[in-house]
Amino acid sequence: MAAVQDSAVVVGAGAQVRPAAQGRWASIWAKHGAGYMFLLPWLIGFFGLTLGPAVASLYLSFTSFDLIRAPEWVGTANYVRIATADPKFAAAMQVTFLYVVLSVPFKLSFALLVAILLDRGVRGLTVYRAIFYLPSLLGGSVAIAVLWRQLFAGDGLINSLLAQFGIEGPSWISHPNYSIWTLVVLSVWQFGSPMIIFLAGLRQIPTDMYEAASLDGASKFRQFYKITLPLLTPVIFFNAVVQTIDAFKAFTPAFIISGGTGGPINSTLFYTLYLYQEAFGNFRMGYASALAWILVLIIALFTAFSFLTSRYWVHYDD
Amino acid sequence: MTHRISRRSVLAGGAALLSYSALAPRAFSQEARLRLLWWGSQTRADRTNKVSELFKKANPGVAINGEFLGWSDYWPRLATQVAGGNAPDVIQMDYRYIVEYARRGALAPLDSYLGSVLKVEDFDQVQIKGGSVDGKLYGISLGANSTAMMVNTVAFEEAGVDLPTPSTTWDELARMGLEITKAGKRKGYYGLSDGSGVEPLLENWLRQRGKALFTADGKIAYDANDGAEWFAMWQKMREDKACVPADIQALDQFNIETSPLSLGKAATSYAHSNQLVGYQAINKDKIVLRSHALINKDAKGGHYRKPSMFFSVSAKSSDPELGAKYVNFFVKDPEAAKILGVERGVPESASVREALAPSLDDLGRAALEYVSGLGALVGDLPPPPPSGAGEAELALRSVAEQVAFGQLDAKQGGETLVNEVTQILSRG
Repeated sequence: MAAVQDSAVVVGAGAQVRPAAQGRWASIWAKHGAGYMFLLPWLIGFFGLTLGPAVASLYLSFTSFDLIRAPEWVGTANYVRIATADPKFAAAMQVTFLYVVLSVPFKLSFALLVAILLDRGVRGLTVYRAIFYLPSLLGGSVAIAVLWRQLFAGDGLINSLLAQFGIEGPSWISHPNYSIWTLVVLSVWQFGSPMIIFLAGLRQIPTDMYEAASLDGASKFRQFYKITLPLLTPVIFFNAVVQTIDAFKAFTPAFIISGGTGGPINSTLFYTLYLYQEAFGNFRMGYASALAWILVLIIALFTAFSFLTSRYWVHYDD
Repeated sequence: MTHRISRRSVLAGGAALLSYSALAPRAFSQEARLRLLWWGSQTRADRTNKVSELFKKANPGVAINGEFLGWSDYWPRLATQVAGGNAPDVIQMDYRYIVEYARRGALAPLDSYLGSVLKVEDFDQVQIKGGSVDGKLYGISLGANSTAMMVNTVAFEEAGVDLPTPSTTWDELARMGLEITKAGKRKGYYGLSDGSGVEPLLENWLRQRGKALFTADGKIAYDANDGAEWFAMWQKMREDKACVPADIQALDQFNIETSPLSLGKAATSYAHSNQLVGYQAINKDKIVLRSHALINKDAKGGHYRKPSMFFSVSAKSSDPELGAKYVNFFVKDPEAAKILGVERGVPESASVREALAPSLDDLGRAALEYVSGLGALVGDLPPPPPSGAGEAELALRSVAEQVAFGQLDAKQGGETLVNEVTQILSRG
């Protein structure tokens, strides 16, 4: 008994804080413990498989690392080479930007168009939704990329169709002027996931607005332009950001269609494909890590830019 | 504890008995375990696994785990495993990468096993040297092959063109290609594949001119003039329609399935002799092997007998001697040789070749006869390619495409190629 009192006196001020702190943690645990336990698998995944490797790759980006020998610190040499002496980096950038600029607007416009058509109370909507969403699920897969290769090869289905009209098409996937377009078409074909989100957004728009507008004699086009589009801007914004990030990260289709070379003549050399070549083709892990961080930076800049400009064109319901 | 429980469950019933027998080899009685990794097709895997079974029978108490992947997935996997310190004990190694892996200390030197465990005295000494880096032996060649032209005999016959011979020149070959294209017996069909981006073919052509791809100290061994002449030769064939146009050639991902020959676009393709089996497997027409064309009638051939691939032993292996023993079994045991055939190339051991010859099928015999019948066309084995060689090969392909699609003329192509390769090699 006395001992307990003594220790309480000796510890002094600290002792007054501790029980309180313990109590706070205990009550937090009692309140949220179960939640954190349920989160645990995700937390382990996030720290072990995402954050940990990301930090490691940041370190590796300042080294020369061939996977076999220990990494060797080279300071900013990798970044200097990217900025000054790597023509393939420039080529990859060009291809990737072209792809982003082409595929995102086409895909979003198409997704919106289909969403509007489906919104007009089509019978069997759920079936159409599922069918149109399917390509998004399949699109990233190797099998679809292989199929695409077959479709657009010199004697593929596309050219057979063209031949019906007497047009002799080139081998789309293996001609540097056209190969990027086949990848853009493949991307547009996977319009399902933005389409579903557009559809949900369209459903949020109160129908009485349209009724009022048509009573006032507004044409369908004017209704779309004055009601649908402005009220849909938050959804468009969301889709644009997500799809842009996705497009920057695109890899599989280019990898399959070019057989991993990014050819013909670097015309399908997506940024991630070049990164992969450097990492696993030439065993330059350090350099590839630096490339990866440049990509992170670019995506971050793009996203920040979108958010900054969004206040001028995104209208939230208020 | 668990031991006893599993023993009880053995008595308990049949299902448990099965699981017990599945677990048993892992739990105890195991003295040694070997892990193998190789690249290749399912056929190669079947053959390799059969040899592993034979080895296990001859060496009771050894467990073998074999794994295989395609070529392009193989190197990332191997590099990752080596980096992670869990490299397989026996590693299939390519001539292109052996220097990199040996110099980085990933492979065990095998010299101390020569004569005792490794009985490769009757190997061609050149091939032993081919597996050596800086004077030490790091790889045992699993077979020899050589670059070759794959020729569709039926397409030649249809067009009324005689097959190329060992003394056919490039001029003559171009004329043959032109005749096949002109004959027009098949829709959208051309005489030759475009070989301007195929590195082993360029190497063959350079060797006939007394040059090479790389010097022994890892520098480029040809100049912009050579490159320009090479591209000009193919440019002319493209213009004449002796070979396929650029957008068809660009479909070729440098594997058997996508070559213009296999796609039914051309009557020739350029590959390695051990790939004949693979080519024939997916082509209905009869395919034969031919040596590459000559730059002129008096030219010496540019061929060499190349170690198709090696087996190396990991420097981190817990039992490198057992690894060496397995490798020796693989290249010397007559029963193993019969299973393996010439799928990995023609065996290096003279006695194995003799023992093997009668049991080979037609394709195997054709490959064996091709490699051993090259005669005066065969020269010295070039030094192993330097690091960066893989990148240099991609650069050749890219420049060849730029010339083919008209973005560069032949002269610019030669200059660009030499510049790019020089830069790649200097980076290492």
